[in-house]
Amino acid sequence: MAGKIRAQLLKGTTTLLVLTVLRDGELYGYEIAQRIREKSGGAFIPSEGALYPALHALEADGALGASWRESDRGPRRRYYKITTSGVRMLEEHAQEWASFSLAMGQAVGSGER
Amino acid sequence: MIVLLLWVGGFGALAFFAVKLVRRSERRLGTGPSDYYTTIAPRPDADGLISAYLAGVAGQLVLPAADVAEVRMELIDHLTDSISSLEAEGMDHETAVREALGRLGPAAELGRQLRAAHQSTRRLLAGAGGGVFSAAGGFVLGYVGGVGLAFVLLIIGALCFGLLTLVGIPTPNFNADQNATPNSLMAAATLLVAAFVATRYAVRTSAGLSRRAPRSVAGFWAAASALVFGWLAIFGSHGQQSWPGVIAFLFVPVVAVAAAFVRIERPMPHVGRWSLILAIGGVGVLGLSLVLLLGVTVSGGGSNNDSPSPLVTSGPPDYHFGIVAPPAPDAWDPQGSIFGGGMRSDASGGQLYSTVTDPQAAVPMSTALAYWHDLRFEAWHSLPDDPTQGFGLDTKYSSPFAVLPAEIHPTWLQAVFHFERMRDAGFYEVVLTGVGPDGKRYMLDECGGGSTSFNGSVWDWITAPQ
Repeated sequence: MAGKIRAQLLKGTTTLLVLTVLRDGELYGYEIAQRIREKSGGAFIPSEGALYPALHALEADGALGASWRESDRGPRRRYYKITTSGVRMLEEHAQEWASFSLAMGQAVGSGER
Repeated sequence: MIVLLLWVGGFGALAFFAVKLVRRSERRLGTGPSDYYTTIAPRPDADGLISAYLAGVAGQLVLPAADVAEVRMELIDHLTDSISSLEAEGMDHETAVREALGRLGPAAELGRQLRAAHQSTRRLLAGAGGGVFSAAGGFVLGYVGGVGLAFVLLIIGALCFGLLTLVGIPTPNFNADQNATPNSLMAAATLLVAAFVATRYAVRTSAGLSRRAPRSVAGFWAAASALVFGWLAIFGSHGQQSWPGVIAFLFVPVVAVAAAFVRIERPMPHVGRWSLILAIGGVGVLGLSLVLLLGVTVSGGGSNNDSPSPLVTSGPPDYHFGIVAPPAPDAWDPQGSIFGGGMRSDASGGQLYSTVTDPQAAVPMSTALAYWHDLRFEAWHSLPDDPTQGFGLDTKYSSPFAVLPAEIHPTWLQAVFHFERMRDAGFYEVVLTGVGPDGKRYMLDECGGGSTSFNGSVWDWITAPQ
């Protein structure tokens, strides 16, 4: 039950999570999923099926750049890098999320009282 | 001169940037740098599950080949990492494969989402705009290439006909319609090449920019090109026409549709800067050579007139007016009435034929025509007024190819023929005839003649009265 609720809450936050982990440097798809998991202490496990469409959509919007490069382990991989436009988008999403989570916290908190 | 330079510069720049745009767009269409990945198989595949999954994703993509290859390889990378990680946690390979695929979700859904991510509205608009620009530049480029091709075909044709003439095989006489057949064929060939290149450029550019498979946008461009170039071929292109040229023009929309579909996945041959300069220069040199060649031929042709011809006889030549009608008896020509035919072009480009009574005699038209009714101007096919081919009316014909009633004015009669809108008018002679008191038709006057070729659009040709 808790997993289902978390998955519902996670919907729509994939963009914010992806941009957040890419702010620290270039990563490829699988690494992005792992990094999100690590950064959230295992609390967020993004749907892998939603991750790639989100990455490609962000690239199409110009928020991310992508390039094929050799990796340490095996063949070339597709690395994603946040762009200037992506940084602006991240700031907007982060602000929106902060005000949303504050409002949600207040609403849920007042319901408990 | 400045206007000419601006035109050439403008069209040259359009073609140049269109070539650049196509090249840039085509980077997404070919397999390009991702060739390497399409050849790599994933790790040992449990019952072909991974291959089936990837095929399921690819089936929904409808993206350019390069994008499909990249998506495929990215998913292979992801699955490889995911399976390795799961195996490290203690899963057997088959279970790990199933679990990794399960985490990605249904293949069709993933494919649809990836396709939606690639094919944004912004890219669609860029594809549409880029396609139109590229089509315009491709048309200019194709037109230049088409002119070059037409000149090459003309030279080859001239050489072939020259050889046939040398060995005694009769060849068509293009002078009969003032070279309308080669001219209309050249115009059609030019438009065919231009329409082909423009449509292909449009499909390749719009597919690359909008991130769609060329086949998925081919239908739109086929319809648009067939309409635009079909209209241009049938209604918009005016000039000399002949049946071979008209038939070639009618193939323009067909070629436009074929250009959008036939082997559209293959890239266009890239035209380099020097190739473009060479092509334009080549067309110029060929054109100049042709002009010089024709000039020499025309001036050389004059000397042929000096040579004696078997058809040239002493005394006045026979113009064969007998095939029109018997000459009008003098008895029915009132004293003092003298007809004298003449011709000139009117404002609409028609040939105006008139015949007048002698103004000195001051015989009113009503008196001059006292014995005559049903007066009409008749246009007959004639010989080319050339000593080698004969004079006067062409006796192969027993009736006129155009007839107009004479408009009666106070001291003259007239009619306007639009030979430039009649198919196969060629060489002609116009005469005035009328019905006499005995009910028979007689020839009253010879008004003059000339030669012409059909001048108009393909539609004018098809709907021309005959």
